Amino acid sequence: MTDKITDPIALWQKMVGEMEKGFNSFATKAMETPEFSQAMNRAGGAAAGAQKQFADLMEKYLLSMNLPSREQMTGIAERLQAIEGQLGEIRSMLSQMSANSGDARIGAAPRPPRTRRPPSEGGAQK
Amino acid sequence: MNAPTGLDFAAIPERIQSEVQRAIMRSIKGVEYFSTSGPTLGSTPKDVFHSRGTMSLYHYRPMSDEIYRVPVLVVMATTNRGYILDLVPGQSFIEFLLKRGYDVYMLDWSAPRPEEKSLRMEDYVLDFIPDCVRRVQADSGEQDVSVIGYCFGGVLSLLYGSIFPDGPMKNLICFTTPIDFREMKLFSNFSDRRYFDVDGLVDSVGNVPPEMILSSFEMLRPASRTVSQIQLWENIWNDEFVKSYRMFDRWATDTLPLAGEYFRTITKDLMWDNKLYNDTMSVGGRAAKLENIKVPILHAVAEHDHIVPYDAAKHLIAKIGSADKEEVMLKGGHVSLVAGANAVKRLWPKLDSWLGTRST
Repeated sequence: MTDKITDPIALWQKMVGEMEKGFNSFATKAMETPEFSQAMNRAGGAAAGAQKQFADLMEKYLLSMNLPSREQMTGIAERLQAIEGQLGEIRSMLSQMSANSGDARIGAAPRPPRTRRPPSEGGAQK
Repeated sequence: MNAPTGLDFAAIPERIQSEVQRAIMRSIKGVEYFSTSGPTLGSTPKDVFHSRGTMSLYHYRPMSDEIYRVPVLVVMATTNRGYILDLVPGQSFIEFLLKRGYDVYMLDWSAPRPEEKSLRMEDYVLDFIPDCVRRVQADSGEQDVSVIGYCFGGVLSLLYGSIFPDGPMKNLICFTTPIDFREMKLFSNFSDRRYFDVDGLVDSVGNVPPEMILSSFEMLRPASRTVSQIQLWENIWNDEFVKSYRMFDRWATDTLPLAGEYFRTITKDLMWDNKLYNDTMSVGGRAAKLENIKVPILHAVAEHDHIVPYDAAKHLIAKIGSADKEEVMLKGGHVSLVAGANAVKRLWPKLDSWLGTRST
């Protein structure tokens, strides 16, 4: 076996690791400066503005193609969400009613007893 | 035998042979890598117990004949998916808890829809979490609930616990939870109030896109993604390495968008004004002081966490009002603390021994 000092593969891996550390450290120092924040946020703001303009343009295009607008789709999504919520409530109420009547939960397997003790108190480690 | 140059000439043919074999395997496995999907993640059996918009509450099916009295609610960070805590069998924190006899629920998040851009911090802290806690109580038949919060899920859990100090939260466990946001130096600089127009951003895009969240995480260590890809190529012959890489890479890049109003509050109240640390935080007009929390708390932090540096997390235990409180620092990074081989050996057994005695 070659040792790590003479193994070219190990040397390469070490070099990559050192380069990663060095670059990360260098970049972190650069990114901690206010100048970086200013430049980054200027670019980010421009990108967000462009995204907004593009979205507006798309909405006009969809309207001209007689396709549903974003607002209409959002309205449908809101109604679907309300239906989902109501279904969840109904399911929850059914479970609660089932639990109150002493029956097993609808479609659920029986639960184990809540009697477990930690091993330090003599409970079994299963 | 080593030659005077330091090279072991006898070993060179063996090394060349090994490298040639690996090069061949890389080609075969490389094709395999691109033609197959990664391991199935988050496969521990569960029921979607409740779902409402961005919020989902799962109940995992018990794996033990006898469970602890107090159920556990895991609150996931809003930036990422909960399957980091349920990777694959043998490397799943959830599976570990179930096998150790806990009754486990998880509050997980999906991408907020465009119409959910108006979700505020109040919705998360005063509605989603209490709603889930109530459902866990009703389903388990127990009044007490232990809460485990990961990263920003820990922040939400702290806010919840400080606003509802009289229960029903019985125990609180936070993983890598920041409270001093000034010490998250890069994030702090990225969101410098002099240059970061959070109102302009939220007003124009609605929900903050996941690409922006992901790139801000990746900028913390800009070389690491490239290096990890080099490492993947070097180790692509190694099935275990590739499996692990795919799991973590998929999770790390599966970032969620953030609801616009919620992001606005995070930026202004936490990043700019550091209100949680300064004891001036309020949610929906209700004061959220950490000293209000009196339940037993365990805070696990990672020694090499580049996302939540120790300085951002270290004051939590001191500021909490509990008499029973403990911080544990473990080797690892922000993710390897909770998932992967190191977590199996370090964090999980520690958590089990701490929580087990407080769950009866």
